[in-house]
Amino acid sequence: MKTVTKTAGNYAAKKKRKDTISAYIFLAPALISFGLFIGLPVILSAVLSFFKYNLVNPPQFVGLENIKKMFTDKGLFTAFGNTFKFLLILCPIHCGLGMILAFMVYRAKRFQFFFRSAIYFPSIVTTASVAIAWGYLFSTDMGAINYFVRLLGGTNIPWLTDRVVVYVTIALFSFWKFIGTTFLYYFIGMQNIPDVYYEAAQIDGAGIIQTFRHITLPLLSPTIFFVIITNIVSVFQIFDEPYLLTNGGPGTATRTIALEIYQTAFQDMNIGYGGTISFVLFLIILVITIIQFKGQNKWVVYDYE
Amino acid sequence: MNKIKNKIPQICLIIFLLLLCIIMLAPFAWILSTSLRLPKESFKLPPSFLPTSFHFENYKEVFRQFPFGQVIFNSLKIAVIVVIANTFISTMAGYAFARIDFKGKNVVFLIILSGMMIPVQAKLIPTYIVMSKMGFVGTHMSLILPAIISPLNIFFVRQYMKTIPASYEDAAYIDGAGRFRIYFTIFLPMSKSVIVMTSLLTFLASWNDFINPLIFLSKYERMTLPLGLKILSGAMGTGSVSVVLAGVTMSLIIPTLLYLFGQKHIMQSVVMSGLKT
Repeated sequence: MKTVTKTAGNYAAKKKRKDTISAYIFLAPALISFGLFIGLPVILSAVLSFFKYNLVNPPQFVGLENIKKMFTDKGLFTAFGNTFKFLLILCPIHCGLGMILAFMVYRAKRFQFFFRSAIYFPSIVTTASVAIAWGYLFSTDMGAINYFVRLLGGTNIPWLTDRVVVYVTIALFSFWKFIGTTFLYYFIGMQNIPDVYYEAAQIDGAGIIQTFRHITLPLLSPTIFFVIITNIVSVFQIFDEPYLLTNGGPGTATRTIALEIYQTAFQDMNIGYGGTISFVLFLIILVITIIQFKGQNKWVVYDYE
Repeated sequence: MNKIKNKIPQICLIIFLLLLCIIMLAPFAWILSTSLRLPKESFKLPPSFLPTSFHFENYKEVFRQFPFGQVIFNSLKIAVIVVIANTFISTMAGYAFARIDFKGKNVVFLIILSGMMIPVQAKLIPTYIVMSKMGFVGTHMSLILPAIISPLNIFFVRQYMKTIPASYEDAAYIDGAGRFRIYFTIFLPMSKSVIVMTSLLTFLASWNDFINPLIFLSKYERMTLPLGLKILSGAMGTGSVSVVLAGVTMSLIIPTLLYLFGQKHIMQSVVMSGLKT
């Protein structure tokens, strides 16, 4: 009897060993490419913060100089400030309007498929291509948008050349281009809310706003939380919109952290310092992600399933 | 009478949404119809949203102004290679995580998942250094290699393969099939729907990528579509917007087709990534 269990145990151990070997063979391509193109870059970017490097000369250890430099770098302060402005403007648009739009489409009894498709469509097309086209649409003297502004009795708006207006411009573009992404998350989240809740609310005579406030909003909280966090993370990295529409201008009005990293590293060829900024950006995003993991249990209503 | 009154909010909602969708789609109509105008009339007002002239010459002109055929080919080549390599890597890893019980499984899976949290901007500079050490800067390899690994795709495949009933592989085991044959002849074909989904997302991400080509590529004939168009629009100034927009229109064809035929899969990816939270 004992010997039987022993051989069975041996067999199981042997199988597990064999399985472990085959599992790592299956994982090998993923682990190698992960190590080379995700793991190594992360480690490198931390190490890079202590070096002066321009790709041509060998890296030179400079201790904390890069980090000290960050605290006196006015350009970097501007970039951080601008990125925060984008956060304040774009997050409410995507997280708030995206939800309202999703609720509207969710309540629409006709053309739902068309509405959903049309709102989401800009999200999947090439950002660079459509940004080039919007650049022409926003042109002050000849652009189509100012044509309609004049038609409505206004005067030409300096969409791309005024330090303040340019934020409205990028917000409009960002709404058009990316609202579909948050919209779709909310829309699918709403579809997952069981109908019985709405039926109960209807029987109780709840109005549309009450229904939204007391049923949709709380039951959607996991999605809301997810959307807000991913949105903050993506706005922190905003690059394409300011690069393509304004190239950070006018002046430095829309220079973001990502633009600053790009210019420092690849135009001024200051790889070490650029790497330091990007590592700090990574740390900020890491903190936000940790907040997401910690916070979702506290904030979020999960108990309807 | 009361019935009609109850319908008013719904009618207003539909009208509002219709107007909004017209605004969402109007830029595409403008791009298409302006790309068909005479270049010197591209900015002529009023702007047109429906094609009024059909100057197809602009589409030929793009190819004359820029190695546009080459650029389209580059974009396609890179995206297709990335999709194939990424699919193999993701499905093999996804299979191991979903179907094999092995030492260190949870730790390795967590490490791979943590890769999702690393922002593009943070990887940019160190990836550039890695590529320059490998001698790939300026070549398509510098865009292909970093894109073949996608933690999110591995996650999607794992989630999907977990739902395939064990009876399929058990039967194959009895027949004496090895792991690789089971993966290749059973799990790969059965995971078609998740593979279509990850391929679609991976293809679009590669096709639409702007920042990586901007950093890695400098030769015109090696550029990808988004970068090529940006250079073209800079070089053309505002002189012949229609020609640039002809290029823009062509760059939108593939994403549009993929969207029309693959919308279901994009929806599915949103549903599945919701599981993550």
